[in-house]
Amino acid sequence: MIRGFLYHLQLTLRLNFRSRQALVYGYLVPVFFLLAFGTMFRNGDPPLLHQMSQLLTISVLGGACFGLPTALVSERERGLWRRFKLLPRALVPLLASTLLARIVLVAGACVLQIVLARWIYGTPFPRHPWVLAEGFAAVSAAFLGMGLVVAALADDVPAVQALGQCLFLPLIMIGGVGVPLLALPAWAQRLASFFPGRYAVEALQAGYSPGFAAGRLAFNLEALLLFAAAAGAAGARLFRWDSAARTGRAARLWIAAAVVPWLAVGAFSLSTERWQALDPADSAAAITSAELNAISFDQLPPDDGVVTPIAPPDFSAGLSPADKARLDAIAINLGTWAPANDSDPSQSIRALLNVAAVADVAEDRLEGPIARTILDLLFVRYRRADLVRGLAWIALRPDEGEVRGSVAEVGVPGRIDPKEARARSAIYAVKFLGRIRGRIPE
Amino acid sequence: MTPPPPAISVHGLRKRYGNVEAVSEVSFEVAPGEILGLIGPNGAGKTTTLECLLGLRAPDEGEIRILGIDARTRPDEVRELVGAQLQVSALPDAMTPRQALKLCGAFYGTPADPEALLRAFDLAERADSPFSSLSAGQARRLALALAFVNDPQVVVLDEPSAGLDPASRRDLHRLIAAQRSARRAVVFTTHFLEEARSLCDRIGLLDRGRLVALGTPHELMAGSEIRPRLVVETRPPLGRDDLARLAGVSRCDPEGAGWSLETESISRTLAALAALAEAAGSELTEVRLRKPTLDDLFFELTSHSAAEGDPA
Repeated sequence: MIRGFLYHLQLTLRLNFRSRQALVYGYLVPVFFLLAFGTMFRNGDPPLLHQMSQLLTISVLGGACFGLPTALVSERERGLWRRFKLLPRALVPLLASTLLARIVLVAGACVLQIVLARWIYGTPFPRHPWVLAEGFAAVSAAFLGMGLVVAALADDVPAVQALGQCLFLPLIMIGGVGVPLLALPAWAQRLASFFPGRYAVEALQAGYSPGFAAGRLAFNLEALLLFAAAAGAAGARLFRWDSAARTGRAARLWIAAAVVPWLAVGAFSLSTERWQALDPADSAAAITSAELNAISFDQLPPDDGVVTPIAPPDFSAGLSPADKARLDAIAINLGTWAPANDSDPSQSIRALLNVAAVADVAEDRLEGPIARTILDLLFVRYRRADLVRGLAWIALRPDEGEVRGSVAEVGVPGRIDPKEARARSAIYAVKFLGRIRGRIPE
Repeated sequence: MTPPPPAISVHGLRKRYGNVEAVSEVSFEVAPGEILGLIGPNGAGKTTTLECLLGLRAPDEGEIRILGIDARTRPDEVRELVGAQLQVSALPDAMTPRQALKLCGAFYGTPADPEALLRAFDLAERADSPFSSLSAGQARRLALALAFVNDPQVVVLDEPSAGLDPASRRDLHRLIAAQRSARRAVVFTTHFLEEARSLCDRIGLLDRGRLVALGTPHELMAGSEIRPRLVVETRPPLGRDDLARLAGVSRCDPEGAGWSLETESISRTLAALAALAEAAGSELTEVRLRKPTLDDLFFELTSHSAAEGDPA
């Protein structure tokens, strides 16, 4: 059985590369979409960074709505699956290898898009490749499950095209896959919550975002896996190896079983404010006003204590010229330090607080003045709304985004445990937020 | 000591498609090394019977056992033992015969050597050619080769000679006949009655889902009520009424330039015919005896189908 599975997997991949039609639909069409997106979004900074997840989703969706069911239905029409049915214990491994081969083929198309985007437009490679891989696996599972249902329902290849378009077009147009959610009106964003496409796009975008929202990513992955389980079960249950067989009345129940999770997840998203589109350029976009208002400013360590000290506003009067010069140098360095100038404002804020955290844990002689310098810098550099959202993200999601154990390049020596840096950054974030919102007097 | 089970045992098989009973109360057994041919008009239920045997269709009633194993409850064990060729079974265009044999063989514990099969089915030269480039005969031979990929004990072939040229058909007949010595049981369907007569140990005649006759070709003919015919030509021609009144003649039909006389007694009719010709001054220019054939039996037993139309 394993031998058959592996040989069929290898054979399916080899035969795919001998089929001109498969190459055109599998690879040329994704490249066409890349070029089309590139034409529209080439002026982004960096170009296409926030559209890559849409492009990758389209590739997976195309493979699921058209590639997989077309292959399955045409093989069924030729009697190939009837022949397979005569083999002992073969249908499950053959179907599994067909699905796995499709995932490999779609992954190839996605890698091609990523490499070409880098080469043609200078789009950065994914910042978190493993997060992207995780998202890709979940998106593939969800969409290929839908592809199995399409293959089961379609009586012939033209019917695959018709059914596939019924899925593909709504997801592209109002599902957040082709047209960005942010470009859609609020009602359409709410409607998109009932389609799996938006969760796919957000899950894949996490691989590109500097500081992705881990909580939101987990929700998206769970939603996609739920879609995958329901559609996969329905597709497997309705699978037809014989073209003469027709789906019975029970098929309606299985189709309903595949679609109910869309409705359930959509309803949950609406009830928890997750329907609003995330700004892919802002890691803190997922923070809700309810979460923000729930932040407590009680029981914070004192500013003149050992943990997360902050010098008073007029601290410079008591500093030596050498200390003043060092603080000036740190401020200048922060102005050009790449992590503090990330295209994601919230991640930049996290990087600045990271510096204060290192100074604090490493017991820098100027830890309090460094924290005050950074607070002043934040006020100067960011709009209040961005600052509030970014600080709330750091306070509420200490484990998201990127942090460093060492920031010696900005003039703050010492190496600390990154976990410690996250914890101290979160406390600083609450302290800064309290000041901005007038909850902590200076 | 209990005797070994038959290679194939089918009892009380029934299969309906909606309101149409495609197979009704079909029962037969096939011993190891025996060749059974299933004949019948289109829609008689031949293919449905084979598909039930192969587990491609779930029977509504009846029992199917392969070498004593219940095909309905232990289908995968049965599939290990059975090799099959279906009427329609194309492969992906780009797949080669060698790849197809390796792929199907990979699901069996001890598959046959693909190279040996390629040679045995005269496909060695096209082993690496895409399926789309094979001729109809080569594709049919590949389908047959796939039936032997698991070195089966039971072989089921659905119209194996359809689409084959005479030379390929002769090779196929040799192949089927050779299964006797390998102690493989073979069931195959065919529309060629001569093929069934020459190859089969027994023949089953299906009509409208029922097995209306089953036996050796000799038994079938011996049990038939079809009478022999004398084909007669005279100069000058004798009249139909005179011939129809001859001793033993039950029916008189025109045939070619003469008459075909169905008779209950060849000798009595011949004697009466000679006397009639002598009396009428007519010369017997041709007298041929035509014994009933399988074709006659087939048409006799299935003639109502042609008249009433096929059920499915």
